Amino acid sequence: MKSEILTIQQNIKSGKISKEQILKNAKESAMKNQEKCNSFVTLIDADLNLLEGPLSGIPYTLKDNFSTKGILTTASSNTLKNYVPVYNATIYEKLIAAGATLIGKNTMDEFGLGATGTTAHTGLVHNPWNTSKQTSGSSAGSAACVAAGVVPFSIGSDTGDSIRKPAAYCGIVGYKPTYGMISRYGLFPFASSLDHVGILTRTVLDAAIVAENIKGQDPKDMTSWDSSSINLIEELEKKDTKTKKLFYIKELIDINNYTNPSDSLKETLKIFKNTIQKCKELNMEVDEISFDKALLKVIHSTYTCISSAEATSNLSNLTGILFGPRKQSDDITSMIIKHRTEGFSPLIKRRLIIGSYVLQKENQEKYFINAQRVRNLIVQKMNELFQQYDALILPCSEKGAKDFDENSLDCEMLDVLENHMAIGNFGGFPSITIPNGFVNKLPIGINLTSKVKDDANLLKIAQKLEEALGFAGQIAGGNDK
Amino acid sequence: MKNFTKELIDELASKLLIGLNEEENKMVLNEFNEIDHNMNLINDIADIANIKPMTHPIELNEIVLRDDDEIEELKQEEVLQNAGEKNMVSVIIPKVVKE
Repeated sequence: MKSEILTIQQNIKSGKISKEQILKNAKESAMKNQEKCNSFVTLIDADLNLLEGPLSGIPYTLKDNFSTKGILTTASSNTLKNYVPVYNATIYEKLIAAGATLIGKNTMDEFGLGATGTTAHTGLVHNPWNTSKQTSGSSAGSAACVAAGVVPFSIGSDTGDSIRKPAAYCGIVGYKPTYGMISRYGLFPFASSLDHVGILTRTVLDAAIVAENIKGQDPKDMTSWDSSSINLIEELEKKDTKTKKLFYIKELIDINNYTNPSDSLKETLKIFKNTIQKCKELNMEVDEISFDKALLKVIHSTYTCISSAEATSNLSNLTGILFGPRKQSDDITSMIIKHRTEGFSPLIKRRLIIGSYVLQKENQEKYFINAQRVRNLIVQKMNELFQQYDALILPCSEKGAKDFDENSLDCEMLDVLENHMAIGNFGGFPSITIPNGFVNKLPIGINLTSKVKDDANLLKIAQKLEEALGFAGQIAGGNDK
Repeated sequence: MKNFTKELIDELASKLLIGLNEEENKMVLNEFNEIDHNMNLINDIADIANIKPMTHPIELNEIVLRDDDEIEELKQEEVLQNAGEKNMVSVIIPKVVKE
């Protein structure tokens, strides 16, 4: 099993390289990556302290929406451009205890409310495979710097697919564990019922190693649960002869459901079918399942309603009074309006206005509550399927990374294909993206999703497939780096 | 198709204490019919009214209450360090009750 983290540790142990040199190299590599991709809001400039623990000597980065005491944390927003937290996120505390070294805070879509990597207050994030392309988002800088080989892992957050989509576009692994397996304390909330903490790496085993070090029940997050009986690394190493049963959704894989399918989509679906064949060669059973089209078509709208509504509440503490750049005025309401009007980007305002609309008294039942009902229906349907199957397998998108000005989707089913990973957030299901080849020289990913708390089984399937596909550990620009 | 107006968009934004310039208002207004149409697809789902709304992804069967021990607290001066204007123990804001 491939692991960048274990390789680094073996090299340290054998005396090939010192911990100090590894961290120095990571720092230099981060500076180069910043010039090329704009992956960082903050590069940690202080002396890189060496800590002791199971991840000692391993450099990593955090998305800039995790609270880090004494280190600028902006969520890539002008409303927090000068904010220095006074407490640590639980995952940051756990990584300090594990001995890992933070080398930077990553650029993201503002507060996580975006899927392009283009809405940060410090500018666009560029894809390391081709800098004229998006990384997708919102964990944009995390994906770009892991894909470029700067660090073996980064911690991101995922509300709709914000770890798993950028992982696909950047040719790496993106793992969102079951809701509550990792504490959200210290993560700036976007939509609390959908927000997950997760991990971006270049191998499945590394995702398991990091998850094992940061998971656990946290008294500061009442939605976290005790996962001490699950050891993800041990489970991955165990021999498992049980035949795994997978399913994919027929409507998304049948080319006839797409209006004017692009050559890229045809190629993506062809690669997907080859991967299904590989699954079968690995002794997995794969079934084609028909899913209610009416439900598929409202995945995106359901996500939009719930996430925008929850965001209006979560972002209401951004006033510029207690923190954030203060605006001057004679009255407090005008100060707050100025702060929010000048601080939020147009795209975040757009999402918040949608949230405001669905929460109006006359719209609440029709949109917000009904979206919560649809969420329930989709989750029920998935749970029924998970009684028979170990995992859902699907492509992550139509093709590889998009151009910066490319956003509109003119086909209903394409909209579903681009947004289906939100199902993982609706149900809190564990979900992982792994690299699945290239379309037009750009990486594409494949996504696997399992039932709640079945993370170990999901990672086993992903690892087995990763081994057969052969893209584990790939680095943008070549592995000779 | 509904008749969304510039005034409605401004009103929705102002309820969140957000102002919009002409360009921002136009961007949202131009696509609001489509946004509304897409969200309205939710109402096409059969018997939707009989389904229980889902507010949280997993059932919380057990609420863990912490022991009644002293916990680490943030220091007042640290908490105040990000406030624009403050004195020793308070954040200073413009007078709310006018004379």
